[in-house]
This record gives sequence, C-alpha cells and structure tokens, in this order.
Amino acid sequence: MSALRSVGRTLRPILDFIYNSCGFLAAGFLLIILTIIVVQMISRWMLDLAQVMRSLFGEGAADWVLANMAYQFPGSTDYAGYSMAAASFFAMAYTLNNGAHIRVSLVLSKLHGLPRRIGDIWCFGIGFFFAAYFAWYAIRATQVSYKLHDISQGQDATPIWIPQVPMAIGTTILAVALLDHLIRVIFVGETDLSAERVAENKGE
Amino acid sequence: MEQALLTTIFLFTLFFLLGSGVWVGLSLLGVALIGMELFTVRPAGDAMITTIWTSSSSWSLTALPLFIWMGEILYRTRLSEDMFRGLAPWMAPLPGGLLHTNVVGCTIFAAVSGSSAATLTTVGKMSIPELRSRGYPERMIIGTLAGSATLGLMIPPSLTLIVYGVTINESISKLFMAGVFPGLILASLFMGYVAYWSFVYRKEVPPAEPSMSFMKRVSEARFLIPVICLVIFVIGSMYLGIATATEAASIGVIGAMVLAALQGSLNFATFRESLLGATRTSCMIALILSGAAFLSLSMGFTGLPRALAAWIDGLHLSPYVLIFALTIFYIIIGCFLDGISSVVLTMAVVEPMIRTAGIDVIWFGIFIVVVVEMAQITPPIGFNLFVLQGMTEHQIGYIARCALPLFFLMCIMVVILVIFPEIATWLPDNMRTRPGT
Repeated sequence: MSALRSVGRTLRPILDFIYNSCGFLAAGFLLIILTIIVVQMISRWMLDLAQVMRSLFGEGAADWVLANMAYQFPGSTDYAGYSMAAASFFAMAYTLNNGAHIRVSLVLSKLHGLPRRIGDIWCFGIGFFFAAYFAWYAIRATQVSYKLHDISQGQDATPIWIPQVPMAIGTTILAVALLDHLIRVIFVGETDLSAERVAENKGE
Repeated sequence: MEQALLTTIFLFTLFFLLGSGVWVGLSLLGVALIGMELFTVRPAGDAMITTIWTSSSSWSLTALPLFIWMGEILYRTRLSEDMFRGLAPWMAPLPGGLLHTNVVGCTIFAAVSGSSAATLTTVGKMSIPELRSRGYPERMIIGTLAGSATLGLMIPPSLTLIVYGVTINESISKLFMAGVFPGLILASLFMGYVAYWSFVYRKEVPPAEPSMSFMKRVSEARFLIPVICLVIFVIGSMYLGIATATEAASIGVIGAMVLAALQGSLNFATFRESLLGATRTSCMIALILSGAAFLSLSMGFTGLPRALAAWIDGLHLSPYVLIFALTIFYIIIGCFLDGISSVVLTMAVVEPMIRTAGIDVIWFGIFIVVVVEMAQITPPIGFNLFVLQGMTEHQIGYIARCALPLFFLMCIMVVILVIFPEIATWLPDNMRTRPGT
C-alpha cells in the first residue's frame, strides 16, 4: 500500500503535466483554426478585389493584386478540419479533469458514502473501458493509414496518418485519465472530480 | 420477436448508462458499440473509427469552437455592467419598466454567445441586484430571466443549431437565419408578458425612473452600441453571403477581441482563460458528437429508425399530430438531458421520421430548439434552473414556478411556428449564398 502511495506521488505531477499540456496544445490548435480561416477569407476577398480592380484599372492592377495580396491556400478547409479534430482529441482528458464533460449527475449527486463510491467506480470503470476501446482502435487505424500510405481525398493530399496521430494520442490520454480517477476512487476513496462540481460546471 | 428483444436490450442499456452518470459522449459510444455487436457481424471497432474520424475532422464543425470563443471573450469584458446601464434608460418608459432589460439584455447577449448558461450569468449578475433594489417583485425578476436566457439557444449563433446542422448535414448559415425571426418573436412575447403584468398588477410596479434626455441615453449606451454593431455585422455577413458560418465566427472572435481591447479588459490572462474555456466546451461537444456519429451508424444496423419511420408513415398521422407527439417526447427527454445531448441522441431516429413525413428539416431545427429551450426551465434537470439557483439561492421549485408563465409562452411559440412555418423558413430561403458553399 505504501509502495503504491509513493508511486502515486511520483506519477501525480507527471500525469497532471501531461493532461494540462495537452489541453494547452488543444488551445493552440484553436488558434491555428482561426488563423487558417482568416487567411483564407482575406485571400478570397482579394480575389474579389482583383475583379473590381480589373474593371476599374485593367489587367495590370488585377494581376498586381493577385500576385501580391492573394495567397492561395489549397486544402485550407481540410487543414482546418484536422486542427478541429486535434483540438478536440488533445483536450479530452483536460476537459474531463475540469468537470466539463457533460453527464447526468441526477442520481449520482444524491448518493453518499459507499453507494456513492460504487457509483463512481462504475462510472470511471465503464468510462475507462469505452475510452480504452476507442483508443485501441484509434491507434490501430492510425497504424493502418501509415502502412497503407493512405492519402487524403481532398486538395491537401496529406498522408492521413499525420492528422490521425492526435486522435490516437488524445484518446489514449483520456483512457489514462479515467483509469487514474478509477484507481484513486478505489484506493483513496474519492477523486477531485465530484459530481457536485460537475453540476456547477455544466455550462453548455 | 428476437429483433424486439434486442432492441429492448439496446434501449435499456442506453438509458441505464446515461442515467447512472456515465459521461454522455462515452455512453453514446458504448451503446453504439453494443448495438454493433448485437445486430451485425461487421467489425465494430474499425467502423467506429472511420465514422468518428470523418465526423470529428469535418470543416463545418470549426464554426463551433470559434463561436464559443467569441462568447467567452465578451463574457470576460465589462459587458455585464454596460448591458444594464446602457439598456435601462431605453427600457424605463415601457410598461413593465426595467424588467424589459432582462429580456432585451438576454436577446443581445444571446446573439454574441450560443450558450444559455452564459447568457443567464452575464445578464443576471447585474440585473438581479439592480432590479431588487428598485423593488421589482422577485418572481418577475427570476421568471423573466430564466425564460429569456433560453433565447441563447435560438438566436444565432446557437450552439444547439450548429450541432443540429452538423448532425443532419444541413447548412449552418441557413439554420442561423431561420432562428432570427422566431427568436425575436419569442422575445416580443416575453416583453408582452411583462407589459401585461404591469397592467394587471399595477400595485407591484415600482415608481417610474427619472427620464433622461436622448443624448444622455445614447451616452449611457456607448459601450453597448459597438457590441450590437458586431452582432449585426456577424449575422449580416452570413445573410448577405459574404461569409460562411465559420468565417462569420472568426470575424466575431476578432471583433470581440478588438472590443475587449478598446474596453481595456483584454490582457494575457483573459485571453488565455477565454481560449481555454472555448477549448473545454468545444471538446465536450466534440465528444458527444463523436459518440452520436457512431450511435447513428449503429442505429442504422438495428433497423430501429427505418421501422419507426415506416410505422409512423403507416399510421397516416397528420404532420400536426406528429409534431405534437414529438413536442411531448422532447419535453420529457429534456427533463433529463441537456439540449445538445437530446438533439444528437434522437436525431438518428427522428431524422428519417420527419423526412418521410415531409417536414422541412430547417424548420424542424427551429422547432427542436424551442422545445429543448422549454426543457431548460423544467425540473428536475433544467440547466437554467441550476444556474439561477446558484445565483439567487432560491429553491429549484420556486424558480420553476416563476418561469412557468414563460414556459406557456414558449408553448404558444410552438403553435405559432406550426401555423406559420414561414417565420422560420422565409429568411433562409431568401438569403444570398456564395457559389460553392
């Protein structure tokens, strides 16, 4: 038991660091989405501007706008989509730890003592099972894409395994986080992720 | 018979997982998995990943985090104080007085944020103490606030409508446009109710505010006007086809940052908090959507949606009866689940049903949002009730009773929507769309 505690104490900061840094990474991908969309939108406006310039000042002005101000960015929608997936999957465990994943805590929050602990064990246990299943197949799918040299059907022609890596990593960390909570509920008796806190945080 | 038994097991597992407190997204994923194992011999895991990958890396989903982020930025500005100060002089002369600030404030904030919890806290934080100190009756303060905050789900940008659009593959811009008039009509109904109250219960109405000159009013509202301009610009750019929903969202984020910077409330800490808040909320929704995507694949194999659609079709119900039945169904579901979860959970079954019945899916999106809104103020699980309980320390039951008249107004809204479907469909039918989107 004490050996377990010391392992727990060593692992705790490492795990928390991983959860949080993946959360920050996810936030970074949101910034990337914003950047991609703004760049794409501006360059589209520049194409329209070139049309206007053509009618006002002739070919030369239009060409100047096209050459200097319109950045064509083929496959930008695909990249934004990949960033969306990366942002979602990287943030999975971080969101869980902040109690932001939505759940029906109606029954759970009414329980106390042993029944509550059993309820928590059930939720984290079954949650871990589903998340681990998800992670297992996410990793496998990424490996398969890599081995078969799957290329995206879109204009971006990205090898599909690259954007799939965040899915594999994110789901794995979600499974680890659920297992982490499960172990804490079993051995320590409770975890910082209580149903009451979840009830407060259910912003939608 | 065996089919019926399997279906029963399937549905029982679904309700058991959800009810016992397993996270909604993981519950949906788990039920879908069980469905695949029960009903097909296809390898469940690989089908799961293909479906989830396609749905979670979709371009149309990117509007979601951006609109959430826009709301998060403005939520962290001084908008709450400015909202009350700016609106109060304009609302004071109306019958019912400053209670209208609740309705109009919620309408405006609903248009910068897709969430009704955020709408409720932003408007209520300031208006509850101000209205109390002026002697407005508690039940009217609470009731109008609880009811009006549900507008957050309807007036664009609405998270529920984005989720609905992504789930059934319809244009998010169109859904947003469809929400504009019903949202405004619902807000007018609420304001009508406040006016009605002021005529019937004259004694409860506090003395009138001192009147202000027009220029004074404009100057009080000087911080509010830019926000309203931003809202009009974001919604207008979608209507005119200048920007897609995602692009409008990014304009909104940048506009919100500029406003926050001008106000002096944009610093690294608020920027970081708003971004992380948006990351969490969008991840929460993404997990539900992942589970729901897999569930709708799995549902397809169970044959349940097709059988149900055929059964409903065989009954030769009039669309009115079907809509009535669905209203009851959603109010019951909404008593236990939040809006987004109840939409994604049911669409796999309901979509074939409404398409068979020939109901317009854009119109249905607005209908479903109104009905889900109603569920926000019904116990035992009404999110607005929880938020208000936290803010006012009243019992859930008391808050629900205060909000009951507004619940009935929403029922009237459903009836209006059914009788005049053009309220929802006219704007999206007449908006300009860019070719290729």
